[in-house]
Amino acid sequence: MPTNDAMYHTYRSDLSEVRALVLERAREAGLAEGRASDLVLAVSEVAANTLRHTKSSGTLAIWHNEREIVCEIRDEGTIADSLAGQVKPAPDATGGHGLWLVYQVCDFVELNSDASGTTVRMHMALPASNGGH
Amino acid sequence: MWYNTGVDLLTTSVATVESDSEAYTLVELSGEADVTNSDALREVLDTEVAKLPRTLIIDLSGLRFMDSSALHVILRANRAMDRQGGVLALASPREPVAKMLRLTAADQLIPVYPSVSEASAG
Repeated sequence: MPTNDAMYHTYRSDLSEVRALVLERAREAGLAEGRASDLVLAVSEVAANTLRHTKSSGTLAIWHNEREIVCEIRDEGTIADSLAGQVKPAPDATGGHGLWLVYQVCDFVELNSDASGTTVRMHMALPASNGGH
Repeated sequence: MWYNTGVDLLTTSVATVESDSEAYTLVELSGEADVTNSDALREVLDTEVAKLPRTLIIDLSGLRFMDSSALHVILRANRAMDRQGGVLALASPREPVAKMLRLTAADQLIPVYPSVSEASAG
């Protein structure tokens, strides 16, 4: 669950702002630069699905503890295929790479989807020596 | 899709470059390429591909971010270039973009070079 000090951000069309927020928080939490870029890509891909598949806004929540940083995207879209993103698309496929990339770059992904909407939580472990909270 | 296109986020510039061997088309991308501007990117690439260049090089050095929708536009352009007997090449991606090209194995379909000059030398 999001911690009490989780940061929330609602987006409708500006993914650049979403990416900037994730990068800033990931750096603050002590995530290494390359892994911060991975998390930015993952969150951006999921948030892009909000723009593609829903007519409403999505919500980004970011929190971290001493062990990990978590980014959660919630929107009103529905992902019918529970295995979506877990099968590698053909290299020349001109669709379907988004969620697959999310699973590749994140340490752990939770995807929950039903008629009321979709929640995707992307987890990245933090370096052990880093203080966090 | 109802959102505003993120045209300010992505800058494209196109040039025809005369090299020692033969002319090539150079498309420079800078900024962030994502789903909000992938239609604009598609228009630029479609226009250049339609001119039947032998070689089309996309300079990625100014690109801070690229998502899968931009990748799909580039893959489509690559397929079209292939069909008409031309070559599409990518030059100097920054690390996050390079990693994405590796993860999707797009770098096995499209040659990726460290610089535009190496891309033009083939």
